[in-house]
Amino acid sequence: MSPKTIKFLQYASIAWIWIFVLSVDVWIISLLIVARRLHDAINASVGIGIIAIPLFLLIATALTYVFFGLQKHREVDETRGGNP
Amino acid sequence: MNGNEIAAKDDALFRSIEYTGKNFYYAVGIFVTVIAFAAFLYLGQIISGLGVTGMAQPVSWGFYIVNFVFFIGISHAGTLISAILRLSKAEWRRPITRMAEVITAIVLAIGGLHPILDLGQPGRIWHLATSGRLQSPLLWDVTSITAYFAASTVYLFLPLIPDIAILRDRGTKPRWLYQFLSWGWQGTPKQHKVLNRTINILMIGVIPIAVSVHTVISYIFAMTVQPGWHSTIFGPYFVVGAIFSGIAALLIVMIVFRKVYHLENYLKEIHFSYLSILLLIMSLLWFYFTFCEYLTTHYGNEPDEMRVFFYKFSGDFAPYFWAMILCNFIIPVAILSNKKTRKIKGILFASFTVLIGMWLERLIIVVPSLANPRLGYPTGIYIPSITEWALFAGGIAVFMLGFLLFAKFFPLISVWEIQEGRASSIKEVAHRLRSYLPDELEEDEIKKALH
Repeated sequence: MSPKTIKFLQYASIAWIWIFVLSVDVWIISLLIVARRLHDAINASVGIGIIAIPLFLLIATALTYVFFGLQKHREVDETRGGNP
Repeated sequence: MNGNEIAAKDDALFRSIEYTGKNFYYAVGIFVTVIAFAAFLYLGQIISGLGVTGMAQPVSWGFYIVNFVFFIGISHAGTLISAILRLSKAEWRRPITRMAEVITAIVLAIGGLHPILDLGQPGRIWHLATSGRLQSPLLWDVTSITAYFAASTVYLFLPLIPDIAILRDRGTKPRWLYQFLSWGWQGTPKQHKVLNRTINILMIGVIPIAVSVHTVISYIFAMTVQPGWHSTIFGPYFVVGAIFSGIAALLIVMIVFRKVYHLENYLKEIHFSYLSILLLIMSLLWFYFTFCEYLTTHYGNEPDEMRVFFYKFSGDFAPYFWAMILCNFIIPVAILSNKKTRKIKGILFASFTVLIGMWLERLIIVVPSLANPRLGYPTGIYIPSITEWALFAGGIAVFMLGFLLFAKFFPLISVWEIQEGRASSIKEVAHRLRSYLPDELEEDEIKKALH
């Protein structure tokens, strides 16, 4: 597999993670809207939403930070081993 | 020195990846057969409905929910234990954390899918997206398990990156997979800084997530006013039980893979000794919670509660209840509190009994409360069908196959953390010791003591 294809797949995987996380967050927000409309345990729902929404965003941010951090701090010499 | 030269010292850790023996294929064949049999019976359930199970009124939750709680409980082995050991800078954690994290990721996926089995028609899961309501603790479960699964997978993947890069540099096949997953890791100091910073953040974040998951699972029972379920201590009781069964599962996996892949040089007696003491403590803690739970019920003497109570203590479920006490408390305490029996064989036996005992505990929580309805109906009967047994076996087979396949592609012991330990552990521990002790000690004295 060519380096370009691998690079593309890596970026695609990061994009996929964001799609997943944002989908979950949108779903939770939609549940909050339903809870508000039906006057249905709104306090508990908001409590869960407040914790869950940033949590998923944090997970995606952590992965993105590592991915771009590793890309940014690569050395030019590609033959260097992957050791600490 | 490049990656290959450094890693050559730890060749034993790559043997499972670079060499595939006949036994690997036999094991895969056995697990795939069990899974195929379970899938075949599950197909029958989809066609015929939940009538093929032993569930009926009033016992409308059976093996699927029992196994759901059981598998999610085991998942606490990994990320939680790994995060606590990392956070407390326990140096002996290095060969353990990876296995623990893999258990979490695989078992969470298996456990999380069990409620779908319980739905009968799997298509009904779509109603969750379209008509779900956050009012229900079941939906809290979905949210927390998804969060824990996402966090655990990331927490497994990030410390794996340097090892994937070593495999890439060794030219291990499939090369594209390691190039893709290594994310351009070269082991530069700045890359290390980025990775360690993120692992540290996740390490702290993952602990409350793990605790919340099993607390929330307990709420699907505790939030009802059902006798035997409506308890304020169910949250911590479930968390303690989860960590307890998780440690037992971790010990079994460590002992089995140590033997199969000849990892005796990495997983030493001391690792088992430390973890088994943790298992012993959890056994005592579990008994304390069980005692509190049943004592308050008995003292309250509320008629509906007492029906469930005696159903467990001296009724139809008494054999399971007393077997649970034997497996979760009497056997592990007897074995693990004695230095002579706290050897690998004894620890393996105690861990197996704990897993059986914890599964029985889940069964004892789920079924008796449903079998004894508060309205004037007769006591219900629940006899699991072959479909339920097969799907239980299938779940275990998926776990074993998943673990085996992981070991085929990735090191089960974190190579870079072992190397990091060799390079800097003694210095770090010496420095830490100096900061603990009241007297100023010379570095040589500490090093001598450490050796």
